Amino acid sequence: MVKNNRSFKIQKLLKQNETYLFLVIITYSIFITSLNSSFLSLENLFDLGKSSAGMGIMAIGVFIVLLSGGIDISFTAIAISGQYIAANVLIASGVDNIFFAFLISCLVGVALGAINGLLISYFKIPTLITTLGTASVFHGALLTIVGTKAINSAQLPDCFKAFGAKNLLILTKPNGINYGLSIFIIIFILLALLTWLILKYTMLGRGIYAIGGDIDSAERSGFNIAKIQFFIYCYVGFLAGIAGVLHISLIRYSNPTYIVGTELSVIAAVVLGGTRITGGSGTIIGTIMGVAMVTILNNSLILVGLSSYWQNFFVGLIIIISVSITSYQSKRSIGNIVFRR
Amino acid sequence: MVEKLEKLLAVKDISKSYVGVQALDRVSLSINRGEIHCLVGENGSGKSTLIKIISGVVKPDEGEIIINGKRFQSLHAIDSISEGIQVIYQDLSLFPNLSIAENISLNQMIERKKRFISWKEIKNIAEREFSNISKELDLDEKVENISIANKQLVAICRALTQDAQLIIMDEPTTAITKREIDCLFSVILDLKKRGISTLFVSHKLSEVLQISNKVTVIRDGKLVGVYNTEGLDHNTLSFYMSGKKIVDSVLDYREKEGQKEPLLEVKNLSKKGNFQDINFKVCSGEIVGITGILGSGRTEIALSLFGLNRPDSGEIYIDGKLAKIKSPQDAIELGLSYLPEDRLNQGLFIKQSIGNNIVVTILQRLLNRFKLFDNSKKYEAAKEWIEELNVITPSLETAAQALSGGNQQRVVIAKWLATDPKVFILNGPTVGIDVASKSNIHNIIKGLANKGMGVIIISDEIPEIIWNCNRIIVIREGRIVKKLNTNEVTEDKLLDILARKSN
Amino acid sequence: MLGKYSKYSKTLTLFIIMISVFMVISIFLPGKFLTIRNFQSMSSQIPEFGLLSIAVMLAMLTGGIDLSIVATANLSGIVAALILTKFTFSQIGGYEELFTIILAITSALIISLICGFLNGILVAYVGVPAILATLGTMGLFSGIAIIITKGYGIVGFSEKFLLIGSGTIFLIPVPMIIFILCALAAVIILNKTTFGFSVYMLGSNPIAARFSGISNESILIKTYMMSGLFAGLASIIMISRVNSIRPGYGSVYLLQAILVCVLGGVDPSGGAGSIFGLIMGIITLQVLQSGFNILSFSPFSKKVIWGLILILVMIINFYSAKLSQKSIKRLKTN
Repeated sequence: MVKNNRSFKIQKLLKQNETYLFLVIITYSIFITSLNSSFLSLENLFDLGKSSAGMGIMAIGVFIVLLSGGIDISFTAIAISGQYIAANVLIASGVDNIFFAFLISCLVGVALGAINGLLISYFKIPTLITTLGTASVFHGALLTIVGTKAINSAQLPDCFKAFGAKNLLILTKPNGINYGLSIFIIIFILLALLTWLILKYTMLGRGIYAIGGDIDSAERSGFNIAKIQFFIYCYVGFLAGIAGVLHISLIRYSNPTYIVGTELSVIAAVVLGGTRITGGSGTIIGTIMGVAMVTILNNSLILVGLSSYWQNFFVGLIIIISVSITSYQSKRSIGNIVFRR
Repeated sequence: MVEKLEKLLAVKDISKSYVGVQALDRVSLSINRGEIHCLVGENGSGKSTLIKIISGVVKPDEGEIIINGKRFQSLHAIDSISEGIQVIYQDLSLFPNLSIAENISLNQMIERKKRFISWKEIKNIAEREFSNISKELDLDEKVENISIANKQLVAICRALTQDAQLIIMDEPTTAITKREIDCLFSVILDLKKRGISTLFVSHKLSEVLQISNKVTVIRDGKLVGVYNTEGLDHNTLSFYMSGKKIVDSVLDYREKEGQKEPLLEVKNLSKKGNFQDINFKVCSGEIVGITGILGSGRTEIALSLFGLNRPDSGEIYIDGKLAKIKSPQDAIELGLSYLPEDRLNQGLFIKQSIGNNIVVTILQRLLNRFKLFDNSKKYEAAKEWIEELNVITPSLETAAQALSGGNQQRVVIAKWLATDPKVFILNGPTVGIDVASKSNIHNIIKGLANKGMGVIIISDEIPEIIWNCNRIIVIREGRIVKKLNTNEVTEDKLLDILARKSN
Repeated sequence: MLGKYSKYSKTLTLFIIMISVFMVISIFLPGKFLTIRNFQSMSSQIPEFGLLSIAVMLAMLTGGIDLSIVATANLSGIVAALILTKFTFSQIGGYEELFTIILAITSALIISLICGFLNGILVAYVGVPAILATLGTMGLFSGIAIIITKGYGIVGFSEKFLLIGSGTIFLIPVPMIIFILCALAAVIILNKTTFGFSVYMLGSNPIAARFSGISNESILIKTYMMSGLFAGLASIIMISRVNSIRPGYGSVYLLQAILVCVLGGVDPSGGAGSIFGLIMGIITLQVLQSGFNILSFSPFSKKVIWGLILILVMIINFYSAKLSQKSIKRLKTN
């Protein structure tokens, strides 16, 4: 009954966006390596992984939102709020503990996410307008109430610095310099795994796919739409909280105007990963690959002879090209535009 | 045998009125275990309200509901489901982005308040149910990739996983082919053997007569009667349903002597996967009926004439001249109008005023010499058509969503009449419209033909076709299988032609 | 009657809100708000985000949105600024200077039209949802702006050009005159032309529009091009008023423009909204803005307030939609 032979599997693989994205990443990496042989070294890959883990974690959040048929542009404001408040609380209380920082940052994240969730699930405000408004409120409130002063490396509690330097697997280069696999990468992988488990093995996760597929059917089947939407935005807040702490630990510095403004590259990574913008379809693996592609591209701009000024341009281009491909595909598969909207 | 005939569901003297409108008036319905029961009535007769009451979505004003011997004071949707009543709506309520297996099993999981998913269990449940229906499909396939008939089977399986005792199917045959209907019927008969009842809601009499044991007929919210199918024939049932033998007058059409060219002529029109070798003519003053089941190609042909579905080959002549129709704009320019079948999505701008809805097709005519809108022209044009077609509305500024179905349809008709078309194509002109408005709309259409317009009515309601058209074209699987004159055919004969599998 | 009633009641509510905001600010800021200078400064600020609001409104009327307006304005402003600074001729005051100014303005407007055209193509032909299409082009346009300027600002234009942003005619600032003319043009286009009528119809039901013989693709492309053009006009006023331009300038306008639209009664799902309502929204916002300036609120606290008002308006809309849905049901059954 169920076909299981090899050619069938290959056919299925060829249908998936991830396959093509993977091939593009490989080809591009080889190209970059031909320009600079150190690109494909383990050290550089570990380094890229560490610096993009925060973005990857935020991308997971955006992925879930797009999956449910919405959009979120307030997650960067949430991330910086979590980070900056956590750092300030740690300094003020004198508690120098990274878990405490995570706790505060995530609490802030979940609370702000809950506000989004409430506005979207209860008041049925379009997700774009909601998050556009809350992004402004969250960030403005942070700067007004908590402050605008940057926290420099000297003021920063040690736990952040220690956490940022923590490597799990330490290797030594021939010239004697140590490098290693940052704990950031492990956190990112664990969160990706957790999200995958939620999406695949819980009723809640299937509910997210269901409301992205057909929200009316989901309601009739007995899914609690409001609850699911509420969860989604709280979870995005939680992820943003974690990303905030990773960010401060990475750059050993906290400026309350950082992170905000990077929404575009995160959204670009997710749509590049093949998540369908109309909801209901997309994979976590695709999202990870999207993040990898955007990271490699950003990282290699200078290598291919373009200044970092080109970054915005490419991010915009990535969004346009990838949504154009998926939109055009779905437009064609629906057939004549007349029959459906 | 005695146990088998035990009553599963009984609703007695149900009344329901929405502010001012009596949707149901003391209607009763009773269904036995393992029975295939048909609920028959015209559009707007109250069928869907009754289904909603049985499924607990709508509360009746009066009357009692007894399921499995239990009397329910107020029936909630959850009660109805836990008593084994499952409704399969026309849109099927499936998730296109999920697999067949998950679609089948997910509802059961929700009902059991599961928090976690076991994919093995999902697959087991799906396999168990699907093996009963004995259909070979890859359970991992996404639902968006399978045919409507298969989607229907998935929906039935899903209902079965929730221990359905009674499956209510709302017009399940409108979108599937004859062969698929046969398959569906064999599934329903299978369910009967397992003691599961089916309430089959339809207005297609031949299917009703073929599948059911008992028929309950309602009309205008009132019960007409409950009949054993054995004693019924097509004519009687149709009489019960409409309450009239011949109310509509037959179209009086005589070929005009002087007419040389037909208004519209279609030659060898083909589009792969849609229709093949379509040839027909429409003359001035003629009403041509095109009939066939949904998916037979009837709508696709109309869309091709209107520039929304480009054909691969063939020619369209208007007034004897070869017409190139690439868009609705071209079609309108050439004197064609098209009333779409989906009034709310394709025909109306429900949030816009009635006035705007009417003048949208004739914007160019409302301009003054500076090429700007002349509001008095707009007002007059809209007012003229409101009066001409008797649209009942408080004002021209009223939003279209505030009107009744019949008035809305008259607004859409007005929009097209304003363009002064030569040929008017009406697709399902009376779908979802109450009986009184229906005959009013039919009279409007006949009046147009009498004034010399060429009219095409596309419909799967046989009486509508027979009583309004002078010629009938029957489409099956994209081909014209029969052309008839109305005076040489009866409803039964036409139904026979429609239902036959192949020539 | 219902349509008329709800339309008028909405306008009336807006009018009452505008007047009350005006009165409250006047009463609480005596001698500071009701001054000619303050009114002049208000009327020189309105045009920029007023034009950008019209740009967003046009896209919203079709059921879409244009997030790329500020980026479009930036890019066309930078092109104009480059022409103004690089093409300046040695002899000042001659025809050459005027020629340069005209060339700069035309190029800026052409660039903004091209930006709008790209949005239109993506939305109309490729079928990309407007949110993501314009989010992408927002990145693209601002990216090009950064590439051209390498991130630096361009400062210092000729005196004559600055007149556009800071000159007055009979005490009325030139930007205000430009804005009034543009708003009038928008009113005529939306209410008096077949194109405008089609925009509303397309916005309320694109499928029915297609079935009624409206060419959705061409309407959408024209709408986004107009949207771009208004952003381009805003950019000229903007660079002339502040005598400089740098990539990223004016990003706060995006939120304000969207806020003004929903405040002015434009339905984000398309098909409803008027320039009249929009202008009342603009005035309300500007009065508030000016009050905050007098009270010397920080830009951050203003950010909070704009966001809060946006959300508040949407919540009010949610409840009023619920109410009007009920009244339609009542009307239908009578």
